Amino acid sequence: MTDMIALEQLTKNYPGQARPAVDKLDLTIPEGEIVILVGPSGCGKTTTLKMINRIIEPSSGIIRLQGEDVTRADPDELRRRIGYVIQQVGLFPHQTIGRNIAAVPRLLGWSRQRIADRLDELLHLVGMDPATYLGRYPKELSGGQRQRIGVARALAADPPVMLMDEPFGALDPISRERLQNEFLRLQGQIGKTIVFVTHDIDEAIKMGDRIAILREGSTVAQYDTPETVLAAPADDFVKEFIGSGASLKGLGLARVREVSLADWPTSQISAGREAARRALDSSDHGWVLLLDEQRRPVRWVEARALQGEGSLDRVGLEVRAIVEPTATLVGALESMLGSRVGVVVVVDGSGAFLGTIDMRVIMSAVEVMRAAAHKRVLDDRRRVRAGQEPPANAIAAQ
Amino acid sequence: MSDRTLVGDVPPHGEDEAFLGNDDALALVGGTDPTRGTRQPGSRSMSVAVKARRYLGFPAVLALVCVAVGTYVARADLDDVERRLLTFDRIIDATLVHLQLVGISTLAVIVLAVPLGILVTRPAATRLTPVVVALGNLGQTVPSLGVIVLFAILFAPGFKGAVFALVVYAFLPILRNTIVGLQQIDPFLIESARGMGMSNGTVLRSIELPLAVPVILAGVRTAAVINVGTATIGAFTNAGGLGGIIFGGIVQSRTPVIVVGSILTAVLALLLDHVLGVVEEVLRPRGL
Repeated sequence: MTDMIALEQLTKNYPGQARPAVDKLDLTIPEGEIVILVGPSGCGKTTTLKMINRIIEPSSGIIRLQGEDVTRADPDELRRRIGYVIQQVGLFPHQTIGRNIAAVPRLLGWSRQRIADRLDELLHLVGMDPATYLGRYPKELSGGQRQRIGVARALAADPPVMLMDEPFGALDPISRERLQNEFLRLQGQIGKTIVFVTHDIDEAIKMGDRIAILREGSTVAQYDTPETVLAAPADDFVKEFIGSGASLKGLGLARVREVSLADWPTSQISAGREAARRALDSSDHGWVLLLDEQRRPVRWVEARALQGEGSLDRVGLEVRAIVEPTATLVGALESMLGSRVGVVVVVDGSGAFLGTIDMRVIMSAVEVMRAAAHKRVLDDRRRVRAGQEPPANAIAAQ
Repeated sequence: MSDRTLVGDVPPHGEDEAFLGNDDALALVGGTDPTRGTRQPGSRSMSVAVKARRYLGFPAVLALVCVAVGTYVARADLDDVERRLLTFDRIIDATLVHLQLVGISTLAVIVLAVPLGILVTRPAATRLTPVVVALGNLGQTVPSLGVIVLFAILFAPGFKGAVFALVVYAFLPILRNTIVGLQQIDPFLIESARGMGMSNGTVLRSIELPLAVPVILAGVRTAAVINVGTATIGAFTNAGGLGGIIFGGIVQSRTPVIVVGSILTAVLALLLDHVLGVVEEVLRPRGL
């Protein structure tokens, strides 16, 4: 396997900025692979990408394409060898789809017939009917179709390398997933060398043969296969970055009934102070939860308030943070943050005590969800690459 | 570079392995009707009758106004002075001179202001933009009579001086619209054009200018219509045109003469506005 692109000590300084946007980056992109540059916003990943086709000129360093130093080559010649897809697509609104796609072949001086044949072929490749679409204008297409045409245009002159800057970032989640899957299958046919920028770790895991996780100054935190990045994150930065993303979304979807509840010392009000004291002493918690005859939570009581004698009806705090098993974890979390005890009580349909949720329960639920989410993305990627039907087809068939 | 790698590997359209079946592509956008969106104002699919009404209706109304004015001049009970001032020859001659004043000055401005607008919007020259616009503003801020008299003194009174003055006066709308028209283009379009290897010249010629055409033409239209009005003032420096008729009417205190001159000036302005509107529509790139 040879390196298609090699970046050596690549640096970009912007005037008036103390730190370089890209700082002495060394990176090699193997032929025929999709390499994802991923990182938090402002880490320099887009700048890095745009230096490869010199839309942004590097301040220093060397860019090699197929072994050849192109740092000082004619940029227009260079760019005709590199397909370029951006999030905004950038189709020319005053030109038909056919003319848009033919842009680079025309620059290269292809014959009319060769261009016409190529247009047909490309439209079939991206799954659009040439007779229907070639004569249309970009505004007559949906967002997903425009992005397909953007990909077809970048492929027009069959460049060995494609640069893609958040190509699916502006699409709705359903179109986005479809286009991701289509693109992976397309890549199975064309085997281009692709550098792909995203800020979405899930997209990186799904699309990448390799992922370069970048931190500020476009410094490589880890450069490896998705499996390795997930299984063995290089440091805390990587760990935190791959953990970001879906957590909060997941909490909004997961239900209280799906997590294992924490136990809590309880005591019946009618059993009196002595029983409550015993329950509290036998646990390492500072509060005991008092229940009524039907085991419904009534009051939170601290050890201090249990001293002395008398009824327990009025001591301690009223139990306010109560949720049912059907509540979402986000709802439980909100209640918990409003509770002085820092705990939310879970009750069944009749109001009887089931257990509690505290911060540890939420955290372990998040861990489980992250692991499941990453597994799902990896499975999805495997399935798509194996050429099976992508799950998104079920949605389109409706 | 070869494109054979692709040719060999592409499955026939419609098979399972295809990137995306055509039906799927349609399903994605909710069953797009293939003919949807191809019909738009000014497109070739508009019927001849609709076009005729759109393009010729308003000129027909203006023609009726001219006929009415002509009938008035021929039939009304005018005194000798009025008769002398309002001969058909004089009216036709004045209108032609007026059109020349407007036409020559507007064309000159297009030739000067459009390239200047292109020049100052090039990345290397963006710092010049405010300076140039400020200079263009000068012509507009000085009262038109002042500009015309000034140029009559600087050059020669008469037709030539008036043309120069109109050039200065109409410079700003065309310059500013050229600048705005080029600046309003989505920078991502230019990035993607550069990114596929178009030279700066090609980007300007095949992307920027076509997209700026509607805005530039709107500037031309404004400038031309302003010039129809401003050109009447040229009469003060003996430039001729419809201003000559109005001016004659004022000097001789003959209201009918003033009215006829004014109406014809207004008709000319409205007609020019309409014609340039049609030109704008025809030259507007399709797909916008």
